[in-house]
Amino acid sequence: MHPGFLNHLLLISQFELKRTFATRSGLLSIVTFAVVWGVILLYPLRFSADLLVQEKGLMQGFSFLDVIGFGSIQQWPIPEFGLFWHFALLIFPLLSITLAADQTCSDRERGTLRFIVVRSSRDRVFFGRFAGVMVIQALLISATALSTLALVLYRDAALFSSALPDLLVVTTNLILAVLPFSAMMAALSATVKSARQATVWAILIWTFLAAIIGGFAYYLPTLAFLKLLVPGYQLSALAALSGWQTLQLAYVPLVQSLLLLALGRWIMARQTL
Amino acid sequence: MNSPMIHCQQLTHVYSGKVALSNVSFELDAGEPVGLVGPNGAGKTTLLSILSGFLRPTSGTVRLFGQPPGATQLIGKVSALPQVARLDPGFTIIEQLVFYARLQGFTTPQAALEAGRVLEEVSLTEATHEKPPVLSHGMAKRVAIAQALIGKPALILLDEPTAGLDPVNVRTVRAIIAERSPATTFIISSHDLAELDRLCKHILLLENGILQPETIDLNEEKSAIRYMTLQMETCPAREVIAEFQALEGVLQVTNPQKNEFIVAYDPERQPHMDLQLMQCITSQHWQYRQLSHGKTLEEKLFFKD
Repeated sequence: MHPGFLNHLLLISQFELKRTFATRSGLLSIVTFAVVWGVILLYPLRFSADLLVQEKGLMQGFSFLDVIGFGSIQQWPIPEFGLFWHFALLIFPLLSITLAADQTCSDRERGTLRFIVVRSSRDRVFFGRFAGVMVIQALLISATALSTLALVLYRDAALFSSALPDLLVVTTNLILAVLPFSAMMAALSATVKSARQATVWAILIWTFLAAIIGGFAYYLPTLAFLKLLVPGYQLSALAALSGWQTLQLAYVPLVQSLLLLALGRWIMARQTL
Repeated sequence: MNSPMIHCQQLTHVYSGKVALSNVSFELDAGEPVGLVGPNGAGKTTLLSILSGFLRPTSGTVRLFGQPPGATQLIGKVSALPQVARLDPGFTIIEQLVFYARLQGFTTPQAALEAGRVLEEVSLTEATHEKPPVLSHGMAKRVAIAQALIGKPALILLDEPTAGLDPVNVRTVRAIIAERSPATTFIISSHDLAELDRLCKHILLLENGILQPETIDLNEEKSAIRYMTLQMETCPAREVIAEFQALEGVLQVTNPQKNEFIVAYDPERQPHMDLQLMQCITSQHWQYRQLSHGKTLEEKLFFKD
């Protein structure tokens, strides 16, 4: 009796976790990320949060945050999470493009995928690698959200119960936000020869797709629905929302991810290994 | 009704306008190793890649044990040594072999034992905890062979298994194949005709992507004309041919290479041609290196009468 789909999904995604958290190169990336995040957390995020807390009265009606698109921060009861939300919406999609770039491409070029596919299947490898990358990102997002919670509790430990819902909201939303980016990288990784190529293509496709669809929608407003095809389309609208309102747009990344995964699976099934 | 182990029907593959395989059709049943030979670019690797599920044919159908290549029903049943494939440089050999065994359905402790067993089979226990970049070409090849041996596959597809190996390891690979046959059927693509001559009973010959009409049966016992191949030390070729030609039952003597003679004979007229040849050599005070029944595979494939 050979193992089932879910068993292989688990084994393949576990191996990806091991690659990130138990190999030298993976750990180096994690340490680099931790250092960069630590700097963001301790300086811009903490100082901005302190400013928002101290000057809460003065900030009422202050339009500068609205001008830079951070207006909704004032609606978050705990400013640290409002700031984290805005920083994370910029950082994690970009991180996803690099972190999820090498789902299958270098293994395919090296021939390693042949050793795996002969005892699994292309579908299992494709979805297993995607699941692995998503779990890694979910762990990183959770870690950064928890570190933000620690910052909140350091300021005022009494905020724990009110901070917990915010923690869940941002974590859930950020995982949803990176989903279509990771799916796009899965599809690109099944096509190109290296992680670098996948990243370059992702940036080019994303930029041109957004520009072309934006152009079409400007002249033919009936085509505005095509914007739904651009990964991250909902992010600017998300930034204007706060709390559980942010889940109103959850269908956008979910639909995008399903479409991109279907495309990636189709490419993977036809790709020469 | 039992379906054949391999069934290929009108298999064609075109790489950017170049036909690599053209209407290849054949069926193979489980059993003794089968050799796949042909000149460079004949389509051997393409055929093995299609059988392994690494490549989709442009047209035609392939079935292994009644399933298309890459089907999950073939997990653990079909294994392959690709010609060009390297392990992941980030993990140790044992980590990767354990992972492969786990994919084949072994539990973690069983997978660790199985990985150790296959490494021992290819004499590579010392490399267990090494990472692929530190291995030599020959060692990497042996690890690639080891992964193909995980479990008890019924069919193993080997693309150039002995290329780049030293003679001792070539012998090890030969012993593994001999030991596992016919419980495991091996399809072996190789340019080493002497190797295939030793291992295989049947040969598939590909030329320019076309499978030659008949598989070559290396068993000559039933044929009306038999051959003996004789390799001599330095000797007068003309005299040797003349002396052999005069022997009872000899039909033809050829000298395809320096000091190599092929004697065609009628086994009904002379069933003990080997003894007769030895007597002739002894009486003439010539020295010989090797006397073997049949023609070499090279002669059969490329220098047909």
